[in-house]
Amino acid sequence: MIEVRNLTKYFGQRCAVNGISFTVDEDTIVGFLGPNGAGKTTTIRILTGYMPPTSGTARVAGYDVLSQSMQVRSVVGYLPESVPLYPEMRVREYLDFRGKLRGLDGGQRQAAISRVVERCWLSEAYHRPIGQLSKGFRQRVGLADALLHSPKVLILDEPTVGLDPTQVRETRSLLRELAADHPILFSSHTLSEVEAICKRILIIHEGRIIASGTVEELKSQVGGERRVLAELKGPEADVAAGVRKLPDVLNVRVATDGPWTRLDIAAKRDASQAVSELAASRGWAVRELRQEQPSLEDFFVKAIIAARGGTR
Amino acid sequence: MMRNVMAIMQRDVLSLFCSPIGYIVMAGFWLVTGALAVWNADAFGPGKPATLRDIFMWTPFILTIIVPAMCMRSLSEEYRSGTFETLMTAPVSDAAMVLGKYLAALVFYVIMLAGTLIYPLLMAAFGNPDWGEMAAVYIGLLLLGITFTAIGMFASSLTRDQAVAWILGAMPLMLLVLSVYNLVRRVEGWQREFVQQINIIGRFSQFARGQLETSGVVFFLAVAALFLFLTVKVVESRRWR
Repeated sequence: MIEVRNLTKYFGQRCAVNGISFTVDEDTIVGFLGPNGAGKTTTIRILTGYMPPTSGTARVAGYDVLSQSMQVRSVVGYLPESVPLYPEMRVREYLDFRGKLRGLDGGQRQAAISRVVERCWLSEAYHRPIGQLSKGFRQRVGLADALLHSPKVLILDEPTVGLDPTQVRETRSLLRELAADHPILFSSHTLSEVEAICKRILIIHEGRIIASGTVEELKSQVGGERRVLAELKGPEADVAAGVRKLPDVLNVRVATDGPWTRLDIAAKRDASQAVSELAASRGWAVRELRQEQPSLEDFFVKAIIAARGGTR
Repeated sequence: MMRNVMAIMQRDVLSLFCSPIGYIVMAGFWLVTGALAVWNADAFGPGKPATLRDIFMWTPFILTIIVPAMCMRSLSEEYRSGTFETLMTAPVSDAAMVLGKYLAALVFYVIMLAGTLIYPLLMAAFGNPDWGEMAAVYIGLLLLGITFTAIGMFASSLTRDQAVAWILGAMPLMLLVLSVYNLVRRVEGWQREFVQQINIIGRFSQFARGQLETSGVVFFLAVAALFLFLTVKVVESRRWR
């Protein structure tokens, strides 16, 4: 649905996007992740036909963003980062105006507006001036506008930034619903968000894509070692020595909490079962025993450090 | 294309009437025009001819300030608020957007001008005016609006700051109108002929005297077309930056 090849964008001497390539397939929701200033917004603006690339090509739904800009614009639903709207217009007037620009005729336009108003829970704000709406409602108006013409692709720039936690949750569930009908590319600098909704992730840093893949693929790249956290009731020295002797254990960090001994075990394989059997055989009580999931956070940090050339 | 132009025009007219600027501009124009008509021109003095010439004598000067104020929001506000991005990622061509906004400003201008119809009506009530001459005055005023609005739009396309857009529009216009008006009496020969070509006051006063000059119509329309073209080019160039 989206095909980007060697896309580069310079602003004067500054390189904002440096030869990136990626694709977004149909029926998928892709998270475009990166720290602020990494080139996310620039890439998105090129894809939506707002600015031309310096070099490279991008195609959206088969149309070239440079030579077929109008076709691209009519199949893309776009929510810009700051959600720019006209404060003096009412929601009803704004959606009507946008519907006209999208070339929807009277009846069609009314049907489209009622559809998006229902979908984005806008009915209570429908007759109010946009300038009086809360940030959350304005976000929904922007999203309603992006959905108005039943776009083939949705491109959303930081759709949850500046929202309160309830609104963030609502928006995420809306995005998941929408992903059933449209491929979505959305940018974010929040990892947990991308992890919560996306099937695939692209990580961009300083204008380059430094990693891409599914959440599981990226997690498995974090490193071979598996961590287990345990709290056992037993003499610290005995417990630590016993655990260190278990097979495949690489490293154990020990701390005490009253009669309990806290263990942070790094092993080649999942060591939970071995620890539990050891505790049972020695008669140590177990308060906690869990496998620590490798987080995407780890990957993100590692990838960015690697991209910076290993220095922190 | 036409549908987009109309949609943008409607939205911009609405926006002009939703902002205090619109009302201030309109009230300011009526107030200054009225004050000059009554105090300076003494157009309604007893025994005076029933003509609009004196009433609108200074209007080109007033319009150099008023029209750029009317246009200053047009594009600057879209840049500042970021709505330029939503417009330019909808299937709307740059030319359609500029044209829609231009027509919206013209609609506003015509409404503003309609407020001055009180003068010919008063003249008709108390005198015996020449309707042909009056029509020529209004055609002249309309042409002034067509030209000045295009220049005001161009100024607005250059900056995201409304105040800057106003000054960028009003200063050169005022300088041009005033300096050419003064210069035309001081030069001779080919220089005079050249200056007369761009003498906006001179061209307008032909209409004010009731003469419909083709060269005047062509002049005003050509300048308007040039600045509209330049505005489209500035809008186009913004995305390359």
